[in-house]
Amino acid sequence: MGIISLEKADNLYWLGRYSERVYTTSHRYFTSFDIMLDQNEEYYMRYCEALNIPDIYVDSKDFVQRYAFDTENTDSIISNLYRAYDNALVVRDYISSESLAYIQMAIYEMKKAKANIDAPLIAMQRSVDNILACWGCIDDVVYDVVIRNIIKYGRRQERLDLLLRLRGSRTDLKRIFSELEFYLYRSNLKFNRCAFLELALILEQDIIDYPKALDCLEKIVVL
Amino acid sequence: MQELNKHVNDVNSLLARYGVRFGIYKNNTFKEQLFPFDTIARVIKNEEFAYLDKGLSQRVTALNLFLADIYGEKNILKDKVIPEDFVYSSSGYTPECEGIQPPKSVYSHISGIDLVQGKDQNWYVLEDNLRIPSGASYPMIARSLCRKASPSTFKSNHIYDNRNYAEMLKTTMDYVNTGGINVILTPGRFNAAYFEHSYLAEQTNSILATGNDLVVEGDYLYYVEYGGTKEKVGAVYRRISDEYLDPMTFCEESLIGVPHIFDVYRKGNVALINAPGNGVADDKGIYYFVPKIIKYYLGEEAILHNAPTYLPFYEDDMKYVMENLSKLVIKDVAEAGGYGVVFGDSLTQEELEDFRQAIIAEPRRFIAQEVVDFLDLDVLDENGAVVQRKADLRAFVLSSDKARVWKSGLTRFSRNPDSAIVNSSQGGGFKDTWVLSL
Repeated sequence: MGIISLEKADNLYWLGRYSERVYTTSHRYFTSFDIMLDQNEEYYMRYCEALNIPDIYVDSKDFVQRYAFDTENTDSIISNLYRAYDNALVVRDYISSESLAYIQMAIYEMKKAKANIDAPLIAMQRSVDNILACWGCIDDVVYDVVIRNIIKYGRRQERLDLLLRLRGSRTDLKRIFSELEFYLYRSNLKFNRCAFLELALILEQDIIDYPKALDCLEKIVVL
Repeated sequence: MQELNKHVNDVNSLLARYGVRFGIYKNNTFKEQLFPFDTIARVIKNEEFAYLDKGLSQRVTALNLFLADIYGEKNILKDKVIPEDFVYSSSGYTPECEGIQPPKSVYSHISGIDLVQGKDQNWYVLEDNLRIPSGASYPMIARSLCRKASPSTFKSNHIYDNRNYAEMLKTTMDYVNTGGINVILTPGRFNAAYFEHSYLAEQTNSILATGNDLVVEGDYLYYVEYGGTKEKVGAVYRRISDEYLDPMTFCEESLIGVPHIFDVYRKGNVALINAPGNGVADDKGIYYFVPKIIKYYLGEEAILHNAPTYLPFYEDDMKYVMENLSKLVIKDVAEAGGYGVVFGDSLTQEELEDFRQAIIAEPRRFIAQEVVDFLDLDVLDENGAVVQRKADLRAFVLSSDKARVWKSGLTRFSRNPDSAIVNSSQGGGFKDTWVLSL
């Protein structure tokens, strides 16, 4: 196809970001769920603080339900999944009905998981599987490499963002940054070179200035 | 078909998977709903479809000629076949289109003709839709899923493949394309038919665009890429109604249109599919004159019948309508989507009187029709039992060098046993339409 408007590029970028957010936060949620079972019931507070999202939860049980499944909570996993869907829906002609269907199925699985109050993680795992299937499908059926690269750039930016918030290791940060650089140059997106270079420098420092790194990261792509 | 019916839930699940929905606004809130699908297809025999094909082609060919005449020479008015006032007072008549000849002189590229089959087995045309008829994508995707659910059904029956609709649409777009890419212009994802817009863009390999993606520069229309380069557009299958298409020509408050797109069209530098101004030909009032239109332009008798229709605009018809109001269907010509349709026998005496007064006050606003006793079709109810429901058929005619009828169609049915209103916006479901090839 090869013809992408600014609006569509924005949708592809945010499809990448939201789908990655769902994927990564789901895994973090699984870990938190496990820790809260028998180690630290208040672990969710640290989680909220690390991600810089408001701790609106009464207790761990409330967190388990509302952080994952509350559509009124804009920080919840399901809300982010719906945002991924919103962006995917308007680029059906770029990513194909097949790829879009996996996001739709991820939503259905999340709804099933919500209904399973005692053990929501099994159906949630299927939701995450569908996100992976969507990415795989896009890789398989989308002929235009630029379309794929915009989505992948969005995913790397989101992954790096979350990793910075969660104070990830330098090794992990540099690995994701290197992938981000790879897709940035291949996505043809306009970008702020100064912010990009500054972030590269920050990641080389002995002590990483995480807030500054996050600030630079947000400024890289100009859409 | 019984084998396929076992999979009705599977097919509906697959339709949900692919986001086959339509949107409706209720109480100022947008809601997306699944479009219930019934696996019992409407079956049209080969020879019966040949008759429909001939009648539909004839009708659409004549309506295209009518549009060219109305916005051109106006011979049909000069020859007093249709009263002049009737055309000029139609809300679909668009003075801005006067003197404009669209590329290759095609006005209605995609026509959706609504038909019903009476219990007497005769087909009647209920309505012509020449503006932005929707619905072809539903039987197209349903067919592909039904073939997965029950391959043997399609191996043992000789059914024309309807999955060629996208190819027919692309051919239609290419035929009038003035040089450039094909674009499907959508109002956005909160439009009732957004699924169709995005699905047809995918299937025809066109660009799905919103008004923000398009810009007019130097008498041409361009699609603006995110890097700033511009790609010339040669054909726009617009799914935006005339009034919102160009704020510089029509409704100036429109935020979903493309400023100056009409100027580009006027200069012949882009094809708009369907052409603006078509509303004058699918007006419920003009419908009455279609047999005369066919006779006038083609010198032939209409092959397909209209439902018996009365125009209160005429004195004799007014008299008949006043005397028989309780047994007629009254339609407000300004309404669509099944709204503004009232069955006289459902009204109280007081309501009938109110309607009488409304018709007398505004005779041009209403048409009245005899109630056609539809042939009921078999439908699977929620429990899997076969019940009978009212249904119509939207046939699609695509016009390029000539009119071609798609060998399928959207069969809509009422899910309410007491209603003949089949529109999806009012809770109706849909079926595939099988045209037998032998």
